[in-house]
Amino acid sequence: MKILTLVMLLCYSFVSSTGDTTIHTNNWAVLVCTSRFWFNYRHMANTLSLYRTVKRLGIPDERIILMLADDMACNARNEYPAQVFNNENHKLNLYGDNVEVDYRGYEVTVENFLRVLTGRHENAVPRSKRLLSDEGSHILLYMTGHGGDEFLKFQDAEELQSHDLADAVKQMKEKRRFKELMIMVDTCQAATLFNQLQSPGVLAIGSSLKGENSYSHHLDSDIGVSVVDRFTYYTLAFFERLNIYDNASLNSLFRSYDPRLLMSTAYYRTDLYQPHLVEVPVTNFFGSVMETIHTDSAYKAFSSKISERKINSEMPFNQLSEHDLKEELENTNIPNDELIAEKQKCPYSQMRADLHEKVEKLENVDTVVNLSIAVMVLAVMVSSSLLR
Amino acid sequence: MASLLRSLILLLIVQSFLVAIAFGSNEVEEFSEALLLKPLPDRKVLAHFHFENRAPPSNSHGRHHHLFPKAISQLVQKFRVKEMELSFTQGRWNHEHWGGFDPLSSMNAKPVGVELWAVFDVPQSQVDTSWKNLTHALSGLFCASINFLESSTSYAAPTWGFGPNSNKLRYGSLPREAVCTENLTPWLKLLPCRDKDGISALMNRPSVYRGFYHSQRLHLSTVESGQEVLGSGIVLEQTLTVVLQPETTSVESNMQPSWSLSSLFGRKVVGRCVLTKSSNVYLQLEGLLGHELKNVDTEIEAHELWKNAEFELSLKPERVLRESSSFLFIFDIDKSSDSEPFDIGLTWKLPSKWSCQQAPLHASRFLMGSGNERGAIAILLKATESQEKLSGRDLTNGHCTIKANIFQIFPWYIKVYYHTLQIFVDQQQTTDSEVLKKINVSPSTDKVSSGMMEMMLELPCEVKSVAISIEYDKGFLHIDEYPPDANQGFDIPSALISFPNHHASLDFQEELSKSPLLSSFKENSLVRSYTEVLLVPLTTPDFSMPYNVITITCTIFALYFGSLLNVLRRRIGEEERFLKSQGKKTGGLKQLLSRITAKIRGRPIEEQSSSESPAAQSSVLSSKLIFKIILVAGAAAAWQYFSTDK
Repeated sequence: MKILTLVMLLCYSFVSSTGDTTIHTNNWAVLVCTSRFWFNYRHMANTLSLYRTVKRLGIPDERIILMLADDMACNARNEYPAQVFNNENHKLNLYGDNVEVDYRGYEVTVENFLRVLTGRHENAVPRSKRLLSDEGSHILLYMTGHGGDEFLKFQDAEELQSHDLADAVKQMKEKRRFKELMIMVDTCQAATLFNQLQSPGVLAIGSSLKGENSYSHHLDSDIGVSVVDRFTYYTLAFFERLNIYDNASLNSLFRSYDPRLLMSTAYYRTDLYQPHLVEVPVTNFFGSVMETIHTDSAYKAFSSKISERKINSEMPFNQLSEHDLKEELENTNIPNDELIAEKQKCPYSQMRADLHEKVEKLENVDTVVNLSIAVMVLAVMVSSSLLR
Repeated sequence: MASLLRSLILLLIVQSFLVAIAFGSNEVEEFSEALLLKPLPDRKVLAHFHFENRAPPSNSHGRHHHLFPKAISQLVQKFRVKEMELSFTQGRWNHEHWGGFDPLSSMNAKPVGVELWAVFDVPQSQVDTSWKNLTHALSGLFCASINFLESSTSYAAPTWGFGPNSNKLRYGSLPREAVCTENLTPWLKLLPCRDKDGISALMNRPSVYRGFYHSQRLHLSTVESGQEVLGSGIVLEQTLTVVLQPETTSVESNMQPSWSLSSLFGRKVVGRCVLTKSSNVYLQLEGLLGHELKNVDTEIEAHELWKNAEFELSLKPERVLRESSSFLFIFDIDKSSDSEPFDIGLTWKLPSKWSCQQAPLHASRFLMGSGNERGAIAILLKATESQEKLSGRDLTNGHCTIKANIFQIFPWYIKVYYHTLQIFVDQQQTTDSEVLKKINVSPSTDKVSSGMMEMMLELPCEVKSVAISIEYDKGFLHIDEYPPDANQGFDIPSALISFPNHHASLDFQEELSKSPLLSSFKENSLVRSYTEVLLVPLTTPDFSMPYNVITITCTIFALYFGSLLNVLRRRIGEEERFLKSQGKKTGGLKQLLSRITAKIRGRPIEEQSSSESPAAQSSVLSSKLIFKIILVAGAAAAWQYFSTDK
């Protein structure tokens, strides 16, 4: 019995120590607009565009933390009250009838942002203002505002530094608050914000390299200010073509950024992220598409994991260009993906399976019985000596 | 044994029946909706949406709701809220033109931003904790930063100046809070039909927020059933008051604009919300029909009233009710359907003018003084025209008096000197005891609590104007406490002026059970008006200034002390001598160096006075030397590279 519990414990610790073995169970999005004042209208439009996209692709409102540093929709200067547009043509009202802003105005501070990420809130803070993610969560963190070399300004009053961000992400990892995290930043010199990140499972994409600016896309003369930033505009251009069932890969998203159109170089940091971008659908972060796994019986989490892996690798992708297709073909024989999954099984269940297999194969059962008796005697001796 | 069991079961069944009967009498939850439309004298239209949800008393355990929002009942149960009101407002109620002495204005004219007050049913020591938790819960529920009211510097505990007398009352307001769609949507989600059906379907966000004034209010109160078992019921009243400007096509400026529901909101009512008990639209016309209709019995005229020489309604009203000065047309939206939507319109044929009933005194507030150090706040109460007509006078000791309560919160950085309180009645300074009957002051503590002032004035009826002024010093905030847009200034929340002897009510002689809106009008409501929010510029640091100052002072110091030191310590003659001697020394060093290099190269020392010019020779030599050095360095680097590679 002792040994069994020991094995169980070992199994548990093994499972919990390697976060990768958990299944992707839910999606969260933290969307932050850090700029105050009317002339930063475009930053709010950026954030709301992403909000619309992730909502459209299936993340529910209670799993989106939306932080808007100012009120643009009902701003006295807004010609179109209760509406926010990200395009001159005013076809799409981003504010809609059903927007849920969790943190707004003076509440959008570095402190609150870090509290949301790390989950250190006061007791009274309601659930809708918390990021209640777990080890199976894929989180999309989108930030936009004014930034510089290794910092992002909040409301023109305080700064989030790359060290702060890295610390928060590290803490999240240790607290098992995410399985995979994608950080998307649209500011000037966005790439510098990722310099200090160390935690595994983090994928980062920024709108510009060090020394580059991120520019706005176009000016709306009715509203009187620029309405969207280039990076976000082209991100949306990519997503507007997709629906919830599309399997476009992250790689195709990353390839859709053209430095000539962006007027800056989009930067991706993938060294902390294991899976190949070609095989990761964008809906892993920007949507909430859950695999429905058929199991023969209930409570069979471990066996189901393998099937999920298979589904993932077999998933077809709508590639945007021939080049992508080629690359995918090159990568189709992903070597021992399944083997890894096999290895990552609980050692106890694996051991049992092995034993079972051997027993099936064996012809003379007597020797096995004898051997097992000998082992038992040994075990009893050892345990009794230990007890004494 | 079996018979015992059977009888037990029977008993249980009977008992449950009895319980069901006992509770079943008023077990039903009731919801009703109403829309009141009212043209305003200044060519605008007021739309007042009223929703009432009643949850009857029932045993608090295992409570289920059919219509009543679960979020609210949980809130009431968890924080033991006895009464609560939360309002989100943008725009300022125009007391002169939109009325100041009717139930509508006294209940729905609210201060800008968020206002929250709550009475708790908990021991005195727990009131503040409950308040803090309530603010957080509401901020999550309504997508607003109401949680800023949790800090003790932003709320107060009024004793008698606010209205409900209770020591478990907390009041706070956030004048700067934005109000937009994200606040309206969760509010609408509390309604059983949300904004999908019935009157609430009219709330097209852009048209609501384009208005001059919009105030969204949520008032809840618990009703004690009196029985121990039953606990208490909850009445939830939600109102949205919008003042809109109808688009006019007529050229005449004195002509009232004609409008319809679809022109105001861009939508029409398509059927009522099926879950409501009553669903009505009212159109209130105030005082205008004047003399020619006054002597006519309305019951007879009801049929012709909706179409007359002055105006015309697009639909025939079900009934017409009349109060002393206004008419109320009642419409039923039951008959409307998809094919025949309900769209009431009002067309004016003749120019008409009327005025609204005013509060006895019109209140305004302003700042005095200049500079960034001190100032004064003044509250001005001016007599209105309608004062003579009012009935709410108090004829104590033979004098006709008007009572006015003033309730004001001061943030701690406005350090008010209460001894400087001055009251001027008709521009004559009065001693305090003449008009000031009661005053309650709680001074503020720096960074801990806000100050509060409650005053009760008793003014003679014939008063023309009353001015109250009080001086203050501006405090200094810590650098962390400044908001990001500190340069905009800091707000002083609205003061509340209420008239305890004046009550507004509209009685249309209608059976109360019919319409909760009309019954709420019939209740005597305290006449009150809020003043403007004041914007006080505080000394804000220029956050780059310390840096500038430090650099400039350092430069000046360096220049000053540097030159001073030069003047005092430097001896030019000595320096020149020293330089000369050094020049000799360096010459010797050069010779030594050239000798060494010659030895390295293995050549005899060439005299400086050779045939070649020394400069050319040295350049040739140096280029060769550099080449050699590079070669050696390259070799060393290559060796280093290969050795580390292995």
